[in-house]
Amino acid sequence: MSEPCGRTFDEALISGYVDGALVQGDAQRVQIHLEDCASCRALVDEITSVRKVTISSAFATPADHEWPAEAPRSTASRTARRLGWPVLAAWAILVAGVGLLEAWRDADDLLERLILVAGVSGLSLLFLSVLLDRLKASKSDRYQEVHK
Amino acid sequence: MTSAVARDDEATDRELIDQAHAGQRDAQDALARRHRQGAFLLALQMLGNRDDAMDVAQDAMLRFFTTLDSFDREHRVQPWLFTIVRNQVRDLWRRRQRRPGDGLVDGEALAGQLVDHSANPEADLRRQQLRKSVWRAVATLSETKREIIVLRDFHDLSYNDIADVLKIPIGTVMSRLHGARKQLKAKLKEGGRDV
Repeated sequence: MSEPCGRTFDEALISGYVDGALVQGDAQRVQIHLEDCASCRALVDEITSVRKVTISSAFATPADHEWPAEAPRSTASRTARRLGWPVLAAWAILVAGVGLLEAWRDADDLLERLILVAGVSGLSLLFLSVLLDRLKASKSDRYQEVHK
Repeated sequence: MTSAVARDDEATDRELIDQAHAGQRDAQDALARRHRQGAFLLALQMLGNRDDAMDVAQDAMLRFFTTLDSFDREHRVQPWLFTIVRNQVRDLWRRRQRRPGDGLVDGEALAGQLVDHSANPEADLRRQQLRKSVWRAVATLSETKREIIVLRDFHDLSYNDIADVLKIPIGTVMSRLHGARKQLKAKLKEGGRDV
């Protein structure tokens, strides 16, 4: 469709022309049109002028001491930490399991065993409730998409 | 011995990333020094607030290094980091219960962050006033228009890189950028400022 100024291409190509982002054929079409069209030439000049102003702007940036001195952890450090927690958890479960087994064997009567079962059951229920809350929270995290 | 820090200026991003992967802390520091100011400026231009921008830039740098394993070394660092900054900015808006369209910034505050590095600031006064007017006008653009203007006309990203950051086709980059530039031009005219 032809525009009032005689332009036969999408006006957005003018921005592409200013930025040198057009393929040769499109750049030539715009170039030829600009030779005869004062209003499109004025648009090119305005876009170029504003771009010169923005790109030559300088903003106050934080000094080096304003940034955290500690660099983010290295890949090796993160990997070690990722592995460290499961290993520690496995060790804790093992120690607790062996301790409970020994306590069960050493229990002299039914009352001691009941106390042992009650303690383990209470801890297990608390752990389960926290786990369920965490699972529910992670499923309904509204920022999941943003974090990707 | 020539340390990684000593080679900071000459090393390419890809070399620094390889070294950072190998656990060299110097390389991480060099990458951070090279790119953190850009992250801060993009955040500042999107938020208009220096403290928020610093928080976002710090979080973005941290996220950049913790996701380095998934970074495709064939790509450039800056668009990758800017994608993270953009996500962090949107996350901040969401936490504050604002819609993305409400992400307008205080133009005076943004223009107030401009500095003049010219050798003769007095002679360049008119030019600096012009810069302030333009950035005040940029601040009034919608978030979508402002981000594309900032990415192209301040950070000088290519259309390909902008397409990567905004996750849009290159053709859309051109049309959206042109629409933003025309609106900026109209805002400047409204404000009685012809550039």
